[in-house]
Amino acid sequence: MGGTFVITLREGFEAALILGIVYTYLQKIGAERHYRYATRGGLLGVLASIALGVIVTALSGPLLDLGPDVIGLGVIFVAVVVLTWHGYWMRQHARAMKGDVQRQIDDAQATHRMWIIGVIAFTGVFREGAETVLFMWGLLTQATSTSGWASALGAVLGLVMAASLGWAIFRGGRYVSLQRFFGVTSIFLLLLAAGMFSTGIGRLEVMGFLPATPTAWDTTFLLDDHDFLGGFLNGLIGYRSRPSLLEAGSYLLYFIVAGTLLFRSGAASPRSHAPKDRIPTHAA
Amino acid sequence: MRRRLTLLIAGLVMGVAAVAGAASAADPRPEVALTIDKDQFQPSEIKVKANTPFTLVVTNKNAKAAEFESKDLRIEKVVPAGKTVNVLIRALKPGTYAFFDDFNKAASGRIVAE
Repeated sequence: MGGTFVITLREGFEAALILGIVYTYLQKIGAERHYRYATRGGLLGVLASIALGVIVTALSGPLLDLGPDVIGLGVIFVAVVVLTWHGYWMRQHARAMKGDVQRQIDDAQATHRMWIIGVIAFTGVFREGAETVLFMWGLLTQATSTSGWASALGAVLGLVMAASLGWAIFRGGRYVSLQRFFGVTSIFLLLLAAGMFSTGIGRLEVMGFLPATPTAWDTTFLLDDHDFLGGFLNGLIGYRSRPSLLEAGSYLLYFIVAGTLLFRSGAASPRSHAPKDRIPTHAA
Repeated sequence: MRRRLTLLIAGLVMGVAAVAGAASAADPRPEVALTIDKDQFQPSEIKVKANTPFTLVVTNKNAKAAEFESKDLRIEKVVPAGKTVNVLIRALKPGTYAFFDDFNKAASGRIVAE
């Protein structure tokens, strides 16, 4: 039971995290009426995951060999783009926010395209969704014995736990000021996107589209990225216990390039604020 | 949003078709069979030639999905119940590469390249 719990918690954590953030974001800018973008994106993600799960079990041959990988890659890189864009946008606004809260809110609503929120929610759910669907499906068909039931129950509890964490982020987000939320989340999205970018590059490496590189480091003995805590850090900041040089390098490259973009443009702003560029410890 | 998503999905489907076509066209690499049955890998140790790319043909005879995973090889591949999936493995340096079923940690095995 414990094993299946960790698996679904790990798979669901990133989705819960992203959904928690986008709902908080919408709530923060007073755009509750736009919740539907996040909700629809998330629901579409669930439907797409189920559809892919069903399709994969019906496929065979090269489509089964490569289809899920290519779709997975597409989702990853789309997610990197929308997260980067959103993080950049938030950063700009965290810096530029002046005047009363209502003006900030109006400004945020006027300048941000809500469909981006939908795409973020969609990719967040769909990225690990099909895998989770297949895993759950297998467990439920086996839930005829006591141990089978325990495994299935563990998996369901893992998903419930992940969802609760997303909910906790949403609740906790209310107590953070709009400006701080924007500042902190933009940094956090940068790390999240860096992790995804590195994962995507790693997939390309494994698929043979990029040259194979040796292992950069191995900290599995210290903190396995498949364990409870390691899995959290993996979802949160893209921690890997055993990345290739290319994966580690692409993480760093993304971080530097996107980070420079975010901070240099921020530094150009005439007003500088108190340090708020911390990693959001409350998000865990 | 809907149109963009449709375009995105269409693009992805075409990408899959193109890559799948290219992959099936050129593939004289050796195939090595691996079966998942009764929650175990058969065989649990696979011997391959070092420095030669090969295709691992993974068949899942269980009634539930499995995920062939190797941290040594950095591969994660879902194998639905009753399905066979080809996993392309790059040329390996001599050594031992562990793998397991991420959906069922009791099943594990290793590839020995020599």
